[in-house]
Amino acid sequence: MTLSSYRPGTWFGVFGSATTLLLPGSEKSRVAALWARIDDGAGFDAVLDELLKSGLGTLPGFVLVSGDEGPTKVLVRGGVLVTGTAGGEPVRIDGSEALTWVERTLDDVESLRIVVDDLPSADAAEPDSSEPEPATDLPIIGGLVRVSCVDQPAVRAEMAEAAEVAEVAVLPVVPEAAEESSPLEAESDTAQVDAPDGVEPLDIPIDPPDVWARPAPVLDVMSPPAPPVGPPAGPPSGPPVGLPPGLPTPPPIPLGDPATEAMPTPPPVDSVEYSDHDGMTRTGRSEEEFSRELPGIPGQQQAPGVVAPVARLEISNGESIEVDRVVLIGRAPEARRFSSTEQPRLVKVPSPLHEISSTHVEVRPGSGADHGSAVVTDMGSTNGTVIEQPGLGPENLRPGIAVQLIPGATINLGDGVSIRVIRP
Amino acid sequence: MTDVELHHGAASEVGLVREINEDAFLVSPPIFVVADGMGGHDRGDVASRIVVEEFAALAEAGYDPTRGPEAISATLRSSQHRIAEYDARQRAEGAHGFTAGTTAVIALLVEQSTEPMWLLANLGDSRIYRYNDAVLEQVSVDHSVVQELIDAGTITAAEAAVHPERHVITRALGGEGSTEADFFVLPLTGAERLLLCSDGVSGMIDDAAIAAILGRTSDPRDAADRVVAAAVAAGGRDNATAVVVDVVGLVPDRPYDSDAQRVSLEQKLGALP
Repeated sequence: MTLSSYRPGTWFGVFGSATTLLLPGSEKSRVAALWARIDDGAGFDAVLDELLKSGLGTLPGFVLVSGDEGPTKVLVRGGVLVTGTAGGEPVRIDGSEALTWVERTLDDVESLRIVVDDLPSADAAEPDSSEPEPATDLPIIGGLVRVSCVDQPAVRAEMAEAAEVAEVAVLPVVPEAAEESSPLEAESDTAQVDAPDGVEPLDIPIDPPDVWARPAPVLDVMSPPAPPVGPPAGPPSGPPVGLPPGLPTPPPIPLGDPATEAMPTPPPVDSVEYSDHDGMTRTGRSEEEFSRELPGIPGQQQAPGVVAPVARLEISNGESIEVDRVVLIGRAPEARRFSSTEQPRLVKVPSPLHEISSTHVEVRPGSGADHGSAVVTDMGSTNGTVIEQPGLGPENLRPGIAVQLIPGATINLGDGVSIRVIRP
Repeated sequence: MTDVELHHGAASEVGLVREINEDAFLVSPPIFVVADGMGGHDRGDVASRIVVEEFAALAEAGYDPTRGPEAISATLRSSQHRIAEYDARQRAEGAHGFTAGTTAVIALLVEQSTEPMWLLANLGDSRIYRYNDAVLEQVSVDHSVVQELIDAGTITAAEAAVHPERHVITRALGGEGSTEADFFVLPLTGAERLLLCSDGVSGMIDDAAIAAILGRTSDPRDAADRVVAAAVAAGGRDNATAVVVDVVGLVPDRPYDSDAQRVSLEQKLGALP
């Protein structure tokens, strides 16, 4: 595992033993799901799978870097610039050039710098000027932080002093990882030995210095009082960002077992610095009733979820439906509590004998272990649902329990209505 | 759009405690809105009025009945935009930290596979109920701290009614919080009467009282009046607003198994093969 360093910003940086993932600040729910995986040491492919589960269209940008043995794989999407050197050659990966993403496999990576926040134009290369930028590089082994820029391996600046901070900022270090790799101090030493290499990215001409000239706009809302940062202007609801070195080291915050902490909302980090809040409301000013961040890019409509159909349903009345979203089937189906971007499809089936309930079953693209196939759930129907998977006998669905559908399966709703599941 | 008729009634009262009515409503078939300007916010009446104006404009301009959620989202966005502009103007005039805010519940007739449906949207703690076959059911799910506590199993609904933070909402128009509405689709047959109301109604009288009024009052105008009057009579601590919409002219979806039972009875009697 490499020691990385980062600068506080608005993106999320998820650092694991095998992968490093950077996601925009709007992707809180994705970060919450992925943090658990990455922290458990999930590999590149597993993380990518999870990342793309809910579609690429809703994902404005990301950076995924493999950190285990073999060549380093780098995936970049959106306004992100990755620079560095590998095998003696300069590397430059610009995510904004690609429609989907840019993938590069690099051998013998010496250094990588990932700049995510507000990528400035590359020709704005002036020498580092007045800003106190070297002071903000913080080392990190593993965990979840807000970042604007990440260096692998860590740049040297303020390493010794910051190392102590890192022990606090690097909250969810995987215990095995911490044991198998050398202690933090040792890592820091290594980084210092490598100092020339480590610092080098700072001097790459295309490295845009004005990234550091201005603090990231959203950051000043929640960052601790660093000198160049404006006055707090909003609710401090965001996850903690790294602490600038030089500040008194805060007492370590006890963090519970990640498995129990990893609830979908709020993301685990929320509970770290603001553990007295529920992450939903009134985190800031008193009498402040609205504190949740807007999902997506502020002022911009969220892209509709783009999911390739995972199955096709052929209903015995001749209708054929693709499962590319939630499909609700029944005598007079109702849809409850959905967002404007995930409109369910309501499919009405005839039921002269009223054996079929108004909202009888739900079929949706599966997630997690069921990714890539459809899952069916009985919605508490009066008369129940029977499914028959190929090669298996009939099985009664238990209400509320999702069952993965294999192509060739048949769903029987009663009243002579059956649904055949085939490949899309 | 369809052969159904929508009969409606609406009522709004300032209540016994508040000085101004910050609630606003719109009845412009096939669009119905109730918005509750936030008490904790300055000039919530402006925010709720903006929402109503924007949906009135939508009713005027018309919308694609197959793209209801998009129409509502766009209107909520333009409302949010106008509220933000209003905030900015107030701040420019020296009102430091000014933010107006409002909830919104919306009922809109849409089409799915050529069939008319109710599309309902909710933002905040105003509510949408349906009254069908003498059963009252709350359709919308409040965006409130206490609702989250209920969902998490921390408190019961009864405890929520007296919880000190029961007025803290987690989503609304205006301010900086989430403005993403929750959507619901109901077939018209499953929602022959809808009630849209502000928390000045649902916070003052319980569901049983609402159900009793809706059950014994057939005219939607009288029903709205009586629901609001009951809320005021129960204390009237907040502005109370109710919109009642009846769907008339539906081919009734026969109650469960009436057909099946008739057939089987005839079969039992040997009248049919």
